[in-house]
Amino acid sequence: MRILLVEDDPTLRAQLRASMDEAGYAVDTADNGLDAQHLGEHEAFDAVVLDLGLPMLDGLSVLRRWRQAGRSMPVLILTARDSWHEKVAGIDAGADDYLAKPFHIEELLARVRALIRRAQGLASPLLQCGALTLDTRSGRVTLDGQAVNLTSHEHRLLAYLMHRPGSVVSRSELIEHLYAQDFDRDSNTIEVFVGRLRKKLPPQAIETVRGMGYRLVAPP
Amino acid sequence: MTTQRRRWVRSLRFRLLAATLVALLVALLLAGLFMSSLFRDHVQRQFSAALVSQIDQLTARLEFSADGRPRIDSATLADPRWSRPYSGLYWQLDALSQGSLQRGVLRSRSLWDATLQASADLPDDGVVHVHEALGPDGAPVLLVERTVRAEGDAQTRWRLLVAADLRETQAAIGRFNGVLAASLGVLLVLLCVAAVAQVALGLAPLRALQRALAAVHEGKARQLQGEFPAELQPLVDDFNAVLTRNSEVVDRARTQAGNLAHAIKTPLAAMAQAASAAERHPDGLSELGPLVQEQVATARRHVDWHLARSRAAAATGVPGARAAIAPVIDGLLRVMRSVHASRELKVECDAIEPAIDFAGEAQDLQEMLGNVLDNACQWARSAVHVSVAYTDAARSRLRIVVDDDGPGIELDRRDAVMARGARLDESLPGSGLGLAIVHELAGLYGGSVTLDAADLGGLRVCLVLPAASSGSTQ
Repeated sequence: MRILLVEDDPTLRAQLRASMDEAGYAVDTADNGLDAQHLGEHEAFDAVVLDLGLPMLDGLSVLRRWRQAGRSMPVLILTARDSWHEKVAGIDAGADDYLAKPFHIEELLARVRALIRRAQGLASPLLQCGALTLDTRSGRVTLDGQAVNLTSHEHRLLAYLMHRPGSVVSRSELIEHLYAQDFDRDSNTIEVFVGRLRKKLPPQAIETVRGMGYRLVAPP
Repeated sequence: MTTQRRRWVRSLRFRLLAATLVALLVALLLAGLFMSSLFRDHVQRQFSAALVSQIDQLTARLEFSADGRPRIDSATLADPRWSRPYSGLYWQLDALSQGSLQRGVLRSRSLWDATLQASADLPDDGVVHVHEALGPDGAPVLLVERTVRAEGDAQTRWRLLVAADLRETQAAIGRFNGVLAASLGVLLVLLCVAAVAQVALGLAPLRALQRALAAVHEGKARQLQGEFPAELQPLVDDFNAVLTRNSEVVDRARTQAGNLAHAIKTPLAAMAQAASAAERHPDGLSELGPLVQEQVATARRHVDWHLARSRAAAATGVPGARAAIAPVIDGLLRVMRSVHASRELKVECDAIEPAIDFAGEAQDLQEMLGNVLDNACQWARSAVHVSVAYTDAARSRLRIVVDDDGPGIELDRRDAVMARGARLDESLPGSGLGLAIVHELAGLYGGSVTLDAADLGGLRVCLVLPAASSGSTQ
């Protein structure tokens, strides 16, 4: 899952980035409104965390421009003033949720998880595909109740597929959503991770659809 | 043009003085021209009347001998100027017989060797004509002429001319004009002095106002001091009212800032204390995290509380504030539906009468309703319902009821949730300030919040607020 974090305060940005990295997200950051607008319009993100008070272009304007450009990724806005007036303006500009500063990082992560799930039409925080289960709250993956040990990249790949059970996901889509912009993107590494993941999951759990990509299916 | 000069040109004093000066100049000039022409007219009329009387005398003394020769006995003429050469008063008799004009048949001694050159056309018998012409020494003269006939002589017409030097009259008119111009000049100066005095006197209260403002600006006075004319007093009173309100707001802000600083310093002190303790005893480091979390939560509650209070305090007391209810509720319902989208809550509002307005700021209504609705949505199982109505026939107050189908609050614990920072259940996020802020805000507006059991099974929050009198919406 790839997240865009837009926050101008360097300390908070570093802390949030570290926590999101730790939670298994690929994180891109922007510290001003114009960079944020550019990234949001030209890159694919699964969710955006957007501070409202930004230099160069305020958060609400950035959000309006994204929506005008047809970008529909879920957006969580961070407000410092915590007034309902600001919240109403944020939701009307196209935000999906808000969080008032200061906040607990756990709460932010929970909201982001919920937004990503909601965007895929999934209600429960517990994602299931046959005997395979991913608890989005703890990041724990179990197979028939037994914990599966995954590296962070393997976990990110599996989480992305489990948010889209039964759908074919192309290799380029995986590259777009699993790596941050500054990461060295090599399509061969996707194959390597899929290969490693297959060894830890039931056989045929990850199907290769020739010429199109991969699909997660419930083992028969 | 320097700034100072530009300021002077744009000043009230300059405008008043310039307008007065222009008006005075025009009025005095017109008056001068009128009086001068009146005087000249009068003098000329007098002068020609005197000449006509002279010609009448001469006509009476004109006699004809038996052979038809004319004669005027100079000895019978009283005015000595008739006999002094070039004295300025002359008479002459011309004869017109068979188409030829013979000038100076008889003439006064004063004409000496000259003749009066009147135009050749003759007036009808007995009629007096008045001309301006040139006299013996080239001086301008006023000339009066009359044609007469001798009794029994139908062939010859006699033209009697009387002329008088105009230079004396012109000198008199010139002297009069000089005196008139000098008088009007003195009058202009006096009127200008009066205008300057009037402007200075009239604008003095403005200078006093300026001084009073400067005193406020320099901090020497808190209000505009002094007595001002009836035209300025309302402005001064209004300004003083603004100053009073301003100083109240500043005082309140100072108190709020003081309270907030005091409230935040306590958690800060606790955290500083814990940090230095952790430095001394690194083995107790694990306690630091929870303590910092707890103190941050406390500080946040204080910030939220003081922010809400200061917003409300700034808004209340603004006269004439009104806000339409329907758009505020619509906006908040959009927020609730979006934020609680995953829970598929049914958040609904009965149709609101379009004319219902809250007598206060829209943002405060948003703050109160936002907190109530957010609370209801957090606790509701599946539905939240909102309705708005007037409480009385006079339409002076309105009631907003928010029902949910959550667990509700038991009767004996309802007062507790209105207290600052009270949280009956820690399992959901929040600062525990929501309903307390609503209670405080409603109180500032002279309204109330009551908790009850809802028809839906959960909690009913009933908010009573002042309604704006029906009329145009802000």
